[in-house]
Amino acid sequence: MESSVVALDTHLDFARRLRTFTHVLTTKAPIAQTPKELIWALNKAKLYRYTPVVPVEKRYPVPLLLVFAIMNRPSILDLRPGHSFVEFMLGRGYDVYLLDWGVPGYEDRHLQLDDYALEYLPRAIRKVKAASGSQAFSMLGWCIGAILTTIYAAMRSNDGLRNLLLLTAPLDFSDRNSITFARWTDERYFNVDSILSAFGNMPGELIDRGAKALKPVENYITNYCKLWDNLDDPQTLEAWHAMNTWVTDNIPMAGGAYRQLIVELYRNNRLMKNELVVRGERADLGKIRANLLTVIAADDHITPPCQSETILSKVASRDKELYRIPGGHIGMMAGSAAPRTTWPHINAWLSARSQ
Amino acid sequence: MKETQEKTSKPADPLEPFRAMRDAYLDAMAKTVVEAVNTEGYAQATGALLDGYLTASGPWREAVEKSMLQALQQFSLPSRQEVAALAERFTNMEMRLDDMDAKLDVIHRLLHPDGTAANSEADERTEPHTSPTRTAGARATAPGNRRTAGRRFVRRGKGPTQR
Repeated sequence: MESSVVALDTHLDFARRLRTFTHVLTTKAPIAQTPKELIWALNKAKLYRYTPVVPVEKRYPVPLLLVFAIMNRPSILDLRPGHSFVEFMLGRGYDVYLLDWGVPGYEDRHLQLDDYALEYLPRAIRKVKAASGSQAFSMLGWCIGAILTTIYAAMRSNDGLRNLLLLTAPLDFSDRNSITFARWTDERYFNVDSILSAFGNMPGELIDRGAKALKPVENYITNYCKLWDNLDDPQTLEAWHAMNTWVTDNIPMAGGAYRQLIVELYRNNRLMKNELVVRGERADLGKIRANLLTVIAADDHITPPCQSETILSKVASRDKELYRIPGGHIGMMAGSAAPRTTWPHINAWLSARSQ
Repeated sequence: MKETQEKTSKPADPLEPFRAMRDAYLDAMAKTVVEAVNTEGYAQATGALLDGYLTASGPWREAVEKSMLQALQQFSLPSRQEVAALAERFTNMEMRLDDMDAKLDVIHRLLHPDGTAANSEADERTEPHTSPTRTAGARATAPGNRRTAGRRFVRRGKGPTQR
């Protein structure tokens, strides 16, 4: 009798866990909850200003502009209440702006890195300056966003950029043996033009598959085992749900920009060689004079550390720092340890330079 | 003490005995697979797979595009290319408006060298928000001028993961 009760309990518990598991996988968590205001838009790009939570007299006068990658949603910077980089920075007195590149359509297939870095970004920065009333500003670029902010910083070095923060920045493609993507996109195996002529833009699903294929067991099996193991832990469940919501929200990458990324950067490393020509002008990293913080995730498999380290020797900035932390490409900013490690370090570095 | 009680009252998980074994197996497999995907052979294979798919689907895709184009023409509807061209023109117009907005900013600054005009958009900096569900501001909006749109994006959904 007792054994049948235990068996029934186990069965019911298993059914409940399965229900929770399915719910988390098939629903979207509420992410990007911090209140914000749209202050500028151009084509698909939108510039948001987060509602300050600190009185103006206690706020830093230099605004902070966040620039994320062009093939993912920027909501990772504001993942969920209580675990949001944006919320963290607002609470410490920053005037925070976010540039959301939006979702490129077929009509945007010709957009290039040039357009993002020298057409959209400067316009958004103008609005940041107008909205904040400050001519100086700080800019944080993450992943491909770091490429764009670096190009901008190299080509518009007199535009008021005081602090440049690069997070897991894929800038140096010289060590091809350490960069799996560089191996996969080698011109012997990968025909970028045939993909783009078929789709126009690089489909988000293909980018996602590529990123997941770097660590297939972790992404396709271990990740779900972790979810199953933690179904009774509400905090872990909430974190997993929010992250899964972000990860599964894929967006395509504009065809022109994708082609440049593969041909100019992955294959020819033109930015680091100071050979990248943007709008007929050479992007010279030696012209970057802004204070520079480069954050590297030691276990990053998407942008290995070797891609982000060498920028320090190329720039003219006097004030530069490399901060290396354990963690992966996304985990170092959105993982459970980020509020204790990465965020406070960014705040400490930036606060001393935002007066 | 309380924690111990909670632990003991937790229902039995039939997978528990296998967990350590599973994790060890997955770790080993992960290392092997990562090494495998990081080889020239894998790059070559995925490249060939992708090429094969694109080559095989190419004629079908072209046929669909052609028949779609003909159907749209029959119904006097614009093609995808035409809609895309229209969207590009809209973007160009938006850029022109943005340029004009920038010039207006410069004029404002020249008219108000003390900085009052430049700071006009920064007026809200003086009021920190106290409620997470602040309602939409309603500033006047000039056509095409995004600066004064004053739209607020505040989600109020009370999902299961909200604090």
